[in-house]
Amino acid sequence: MKRLIASLAGAAALTVATLLSPALAASKGTIYYMVPTLLDEFQTGSVTAITKFMGDVGYDVKALNADNKTDVQQGQMNDVIALKPSAIILAAVDFDALKPQVEAARAAGIPVMIFDRQITATKSDLTSVAGTVEIGYVAADQIQRLLKEKNGAVKGKVLQVLGDPGDPYTLDIQKGFEEKMKAFPDVTIISKPAMQWEASNAGSIVADQILANPDIDLVFVHAAHLAVAAVASLEAAGKKPGDVLLVSSNGAPVGLDLIRKGWEQVEVEQPLFAQAAALAMFADKVVNKQELKPGRYDVLGLEGTLTNEAWGPNIKLPGAAITKDNVDDPKFWGNMKTPETPVKSVE
Amino acid sequence: MVSPRRRAAIELVLDNLVWFILAVVLAIFSIAVPNYFQIGIFANIVEQSTFVATLSIGLSLLIIAGYMDLSIESVMALAAMVVGILFAKSGVGIGLTLDPEWLIVPASLVIALAVGALVGASNAFFVVRLRMNAFIVTLAAYIWGRGLVVALSGGRSAQELPPALRFLAIERFLSFPLIAWVSIVATLAFAFILNKTPFGRHLLLIGGNAQAAYRAGINVDRLTAITFVIAGAMAGLAGWLLAIRTSGATANLGVGMLFQAFAAVVIGGVSLKGGVGSLTGVYAGVLLLASIQTAINLMGLPAHFTQLIQGGMVLVAVLLDTVKLSIRKKLI
Repeated sequence: MKRLIASLAGAAALTVATLLSPALAASKGTIYYMVPTLLDEFQTGSVTAITKFMGDVGYDVKALNADNKTDVQQGQMNDVIALKPSAIILAAVDFDALKPQVEAARAAGIPVMIFDRQITATKSDLTSVAGTVEIGYVAADQIQRLLKEKNGAVKGKVLQVLGDPGDPYTLDIQKGFEEKMKAFPDVTIISKPAMQWEASNAGSIVADQILANPDIDLVFVHAAHLAVAAVASLEAAGKKPGDVLLVSSNGAPVGLDLIRKGWEQVEVEQPLFAQAAALAMFADKVVNKQELKPGRYDVLGLEGTLTNEAWGPNIKLPGAAITKDNVDDPKFWGNMKTPETPVKSVE
Repeated sequence: MVSPRRRAAIELVLDNLVWFILAVVLAIFSIAVPNYFQIGIFANIVEQSTFVATLSIGLSLLIIAGYMDLSIESVMALAAMVVGILFAKSGVGIGLTLDPEWLIVPASLVIALAVGALVGASNAFFVVRLRMNAFIVTLAAYIWGRGLVVALSGGRSAQELPPALRFLAIERFLSFPLIAWVSIVATLAFAFILNKTPFGRHLLLIGGNAQAAYRAGINVDRLTAITFVIAGAMAGLAGWLLAIRTSGATANLGVGMLFQAFAAVVIGGVSLKGGVGSLTGVYAGVLLLASIQTAINLMGLPAHFTQLIQGGMVLVAVLLDTVKLSIRKKLI
């Protein structure tokens, strides 16, 4: 009887050990991802990608959604600091308002990685961005090309539909875009914000402007979900695909669908997968407070450039222009195929 | 002493003050804003008013009855997302098809109305049966409703509703898209119900003095519960119309429309104390807000001006309401 009990106890202990050991071996710790909102596809995609890639290098990820509220994110940061995680990944609702929390976390010995929304007002341990101003540059290059193809020269009228005017993300894209377009005085740019990034607001702007300015050649919207509403308004105004050119940014699935249907010509992608993978590649070094060497790194096939900036190490990934020629490429996050190849830590 | 004819004229102006203000505002914008004065822009104003106007129907009825409903915006988004998920072909849409194809119109409408009515019934249960505060109950529904939209969609969009539904946003009758007519007809129908039927008159009585209405033999609880269900169903209808216009739904669809609806209701002359209000006035309030928004779209003004002007207009409306009351007292 004693032998039986001992055997059962041994088997139970072995089972528990077997069940627990992979988790214990796999997890190097918990990283909190502070996501600004779950109301757009880029952000929900970022949770999936960061969870997957951080899992590849041995970290568990817990995501906290701030519902686009700065005060909520500040509170979440304060709570997470008290939990002493291995690191925090922050995609800030407001670039500057989170500065005290970033500083508090680092003072508590918790490394802070910045995802997508660059914070330059204070030091952080790694920033992974596409460069929102650069997205504006890429959009400008593509729009110049499209206008030249349509009008024989870079001239015409462009309606730019921004996101919420309180969001620095859209203001940066506008800055980059308008900076590059300054060289072309024959291009008239009408800029209007869609309050709260709400699609029907964008639809109303397009509907009004198409009537007031029937000679609009191209509509540039700052997010793909706004492009859908823009197309709905164009369709309601009797336009056919290609009548009014359409360019969008962020690379969401709906934008790619619009390219396939001919309504949209270019989607400027934010390289979501590469941005998330870059954080995972350097996670061990960041957590262990090791130096990150500047240079060029292959991040999921994209060339990322790591530099030391005033705000700390910064890796920038190039945004890509998606057209009908490459729209089905699985490397674009809008095709919703998270790369299966595991990300490896940088040695 | 005011002569009966003059008194009637003053009453007419007071009762329709918001329509007069709308006419003046439209005239000013037509003169001052380039490209404003054209039938297409006026049609746009009516089209853009569709969703807030439909939302405002239920909200007005509840406020007239002495309650409020903060959940309508989320209910609208929820109904839009359910329709999007079921019938849209891209994104998270599963692209259900029906044979014959036109069946999608009544089927999706019934589903949207049912979604809204269900949430309305849930609000009614907590408020009427459990005697919970309507503000808190509907605030909770506002929060969980939006949460459910995100949960159902995973934060993704449902896009590309079939042409059998989209035609309602594309085809026009007398220059206005069909979805705008749906809203206009709904407003007129409920205006009739409010003014000409026992249900409407009882609602006004309940909002004026629920205790007196109860003593007069009116089933206050039943009417209140029905009004919550109607408010939910109207929010569902607004969601159906919004999904059709944007060819699907995004997780943040309709964000901010609750406050526009409240502004329109107040501007339209509905008393937040209950017992007073007309739906045609509310519709004029919605048109007024949309005409200002359109003017800002056409002018070079930053969008923040919309909110500044809307906020200012709500204050002016409340002020006007006080002035109207004092003028009426003098007339009596």
